[in-house]
This record gives sequence, structure tokens and C-alpha cells, in this order.
Amino acid sequence: MSAFDLLMGVLLIASALAAVTLKNAVHAGLALVGNFLALAVVYFALEAQFLGWIQIIVYAGAVMVLFLFVIMLLFDAKADVGMDRLPWMRPVGAALAAVFFLVLAYAFSAVGPNNPLADVKLAGGLPQALGKLLYGDWLYAVLLVAVLLFAATVAAVVLVQPQIRKARVKPQVLERDRELKEVGK
Amino acid sequence: MSYYLLLSALLFAIGLYGVLSRRTAILIFMSIELMLNSANLALVSFARASGDLGGQAMALVVIALAAAEVAVGLGIIVAVYRVRESTSVDDLAEFRG
Repeated sequence: MSAFDLLMGVLLIASALAAVTLKNAVHAGLALVGNFLALAVVYFALEAQFLGWIQIIVYAGAVMVLFLFVIMLLFDAKADVGMDRLPWMRPVGAALAAVFFLVLAYAFSAVGPNNPLADVKLAGGLPQALGKLLYGDWLYAVLLVAVLLFAATVAAVVLVQPQIRKARVKPQVLERDRELKEVGK
Repeated sequence: MSYYLLLSALLFAIGLYGVLSRRTAILIFMSIELMLNSANLALVSFARASGDLGGQAMALVVIALAAAEVAVGLGIIVAVYRVRESTSVDDLAEFRG
């Protein structure tokens, strides 16, 4: 383990803790951006260059801009303050997370050490090698992702239409209201 | 055991704590993103440990999935906020059994 690994570990854990504990939603979002950028650097170190750039563009760019935009649109940033209705949830959540971490670490302890770099056929994780794999063995998954992204785009557009705010009134109800008004006259 | 696998387990646990302790839908959502990213880190470490690019391809699919999830999830949050003027999950509890 090198000094680089240690530094990235500290950065990742500190930014993740800040993202789940800070009271100000905008600050938490910015901490999450830091976490994503540190993760991209780790990807570069783990022979996954293309994935690192995608991480920066999609996560640190598009996704977090969307998050911060919605936070600033809906809240006055102080999103997680006020009375806590389940005050015991915090320690219980921390205990559950600790148990989960121990279980995961135990499961991962069976994984062997890294192959020496000379044996690794990752080609640096460059787009050329990854693209051949994606449009070869993984073509089916890529097509499914395309369908999913299309469906998500349609859903996102439909969900924010203003008319879904009002419940649809049945024609029978409208008819009865009209008749009641006529009788009242 | 790889150092980065342990790190991804720790990041996943932190995300889990965020999901359990946050009370606003959008902050819970951000914790879920943290958990997705830690799973990606585990996939990339597996790819590095076994010398197989398949782990990186899977991580790429997960990133695309997360992008779709964010688009739909934030749409739902905005739609709920228009009706309820709040996204605190304590205020949205009428479906409880």
C-alpha cells in the first residue's frame, strides 16, 4: 500500500462522511462531488482510464448538477434540520452500517491479492479495449441500457408536466355537479 | 484482500448509514448514489484483481443505470414537492400499514 492509496482512502472516507452528515444540503452535495472526483482518480490508478473520465463527466458533471439544481430549486438549503421524529434511528443506523461493513469485509476476505501488473490484460482500461468488449459480448446489455435511458427520458418529461398535479375528475361527477346547480336555481 | 475492496465496503456502509439517518428524500437519494459508486469501486477492483475487463464494462452499465435513476427519481421528488410542499419522508408516510 502506497502513500497514494492512503491519501485517496482518507479523501474518499472524509468526503463520504461529510456527504451523509452535513446539515446544509448544498454543502452535502458539494462533498459528494469531491467524493466522485476522488473516485475518478482511484479509477485512473486501477487501470480504468475510460471509466474515470466517464465518472467525471456523468457523475461529477451531469448527475451532481441535476442534484444541486433540484436542491436550490426546492429548498432553502437547510434541508435536514428541525425536529427529528425518530431520534433513535441515528445510532441504530450507525450500528447496522457497522455490522454490514463487517459482513462485507468478511465476504471480501476470500478474494485473493492482485495479479502482478505484467499478467493483467486490461490495456489501461482505454476506450478501444472496453469498446470491443461492450459491442461484442456485452452488446445485449448495451441495448437494454439504451431502452432504459429512453424510458427514463420519457418518464422524466411526463412526471414534471403541470397537469398531473390535479386529480382527474370523472365526467359523471362533472355531470352531477351541473345538475345540482340547475336544481339549486 | 485488496485495500480498495475494503474501502468500497466502508463507503457502502457510510452510504447505508446516510440512507437510514437522513430524513429528506433528496439527501437519501444522494446516499444511494454513494452506495452505487462504492459498488462500482468494488467492480473495478475485481477487474484489476482478476485481469478481466468485464468488471469495468459492468461498472459502465451501472453508471448508465444510475443516470436513468437520477432522472426519474428527481422527477418524482419535484412532482411530490409540487403537491405536498415538502420532501421530508416523515411527511409522506400515509402508505404505512
